[in-house]
Amino acid sequence: MSDESANAGPMSTAPAGVVIEGLHKSFGEVEVLKGIDMSVEPGQVVCLIGASGSGKSTLLRCVNRLEDPDAGSITVGEFDATHADVNLDAMRQHIGMVFQQFNLFPHLSVLENCTITPRRVLKHSREKAEAEALHQLDLVGLKHLAQRRPAQLSGGQQQRVAIARALTMQPNLMLFDEPTSALDPETVGEVLSIMRDLARAGMTMLVVTHEMGFAREVADRVVFLDQGLVVEEGPAEQVIGAPTQPRTQDFLRRVLNPLGK
Amino acid sequence: MALSNRDRARLSLGIQAAIFAAIVVVLIVIIDWTAVQRSFFNVEPVMAMFPEVITVGLWNTVRYTFFGFVFGLIGGTVLALMRIASFPVYRWLATLYIEFFRGIPAILVFIALGFGASLAFGLNLSTLQTASTALAIVGAAYIAETIRAGLQAVPKGQMEAARALGMPAWRAMLTIQIPQAFRIVLPPLTNEAILLTKDSSLIFVVGMAGSAAELTKMGRDGITMYQAGMTPLVVAGICYLLITVPLSILARRMEERSPGRSSRRRPKKKATTSPVSSGVA
Repeated sequence: MSDESANAGPMSTAPAGVVIEGLHKSFGEVEVLKGIDMSVEPGQVVCLIGASGSGKSTLLRCVNRLEDPDAGSITVGEFDATHADVNLDAMRQHIGMVFQQFNLFPHLSVLENCTITPRRVLKHSREKAEAEALHQLDLVGLKHLAQRRPAQLSGGQQQRVAIARALTMQPNLMLFDEPTSALDPETVGEVLSIMRDLARAGMTMLVVTHEMGFAREVADRVVFLDQGLVVEEGPAEQVIGAPTQPRTQDFLRRVLNPLGK
Repeated sequence: MALSNRDRARLSLGIQAAIFAAIVVVLIVIIDWTAVQRSFFNVEPVMAMFPEVITVGLWNTVRYTFFGFVFGLIGGTVLALMRIASFPVYRWLATLYIEFFRGIPAILVFIALGFGASLAFGLNLSTLQTASTALAIVGAAYIAETIRAGLQAVPKGQMEAARALGMPAWRAMLTIQIPQAFRIVLPPLTNEAILLTKDSSLIFVVGMAGSAAELTKMGRDGITMYQAGMTPLVVAGICYLLITVPLSILARRMEERSPGRSSRRRPKKKATTSPVSSGVA
């Protein structure tokens, strides 16, 4: 913990696991999470599925404390995310996050989007930060667009830059909050394939998604949330292919066959 | 005789043009143009105002306004950050300041600094200090509300993305939110600069030495000095327009290609599954 929270010195790049116990979260009168217990083993990919309003995005956002849980505990690698004294900035430097709306910084170039945090927060030299950023942009196939502004890119390209930006911080864990929900259908594939590559490279990933095909192929485990509770969890093949809970069956039937045939 | 709609519109335009032309003709005939020229455009005696009206008057107006604007911008930014702070005392203090100085006439602030400050605290402020401080105090109140609106117009996801990357709050504010907010508020800030340029004339109530005179003072003095009717005021007015018209053209240009337009467009939310997913499965 003390090694990790200090910015100086070499960062551990080993994948981190997540353990969530008894997590509660309310917005005003509405209780969104009603006692969640779940975990992600280091190097595993876990997909969170469930209807809108089931609490899956809130759960994800509690992990890097964009939302403050009301009760319960979350551990990310060596960080106790819910401890009062946790250094949130240091913890977040080890947790990459990809948003539904990309949230690239529109006033900065693609390259600057990927270098600003390593330079300003990790105090990397410009040369080092740019070399790392170009390496990550190359991995998502967008090195040639490094000088462009985000507004000049397609949605799929913007999301790939957002992934590269998160990876320049050498995270031990990646959080994805419906990364393809705002994309045009023809660009969904390019983002999913990068996420699949990342999973194969051994990254720990927690993914909120409606892409059942992706979950089935890439996820080690799938967790189905309904009304703030974990209803069913297990290997992807089992939860999506042969769900045992009626609510899971009902949800999957509606998602996989929207026309109800 | 039935007129078509188009004919009726043409007839109406023709009548309006005829009335307008008639009014112009009547004015040309009845107005004493020599009197107008004598009192508003009496060029010869007023040539004596040059070059001082530019080198002293315009220069001082620009100087007072510039420093007033710069300090007003700094103060306004601090007030705007206080207005959106989570600590309520900051919010109350900023709201109190803003409501107070937006609610009183700016001329009170000029009088307070020009006369009151020396009476109450023995402060002896120069004209530049008085004018730019008064403008900064008043300008900060207006600028604060403009900047607050700009800060709140930056999508919430920007701050979240910066914090999720591990930026401390102050760093995210400085490198992500404030630069984007300033892009959004550049046109209204330019309008603020125009208002301050005009308000710099209020230093007139305090009085000043000839070398510190700005445009309004020079125009007012010119009336008694040159026996040229209102012409010195016309000269002063044109000098103000030399500053304000380019600024307002600049503001309109910036508004037309506002950077927020393309980037603030929200991507559309898609249905829960896309065709690709069934392909992968």
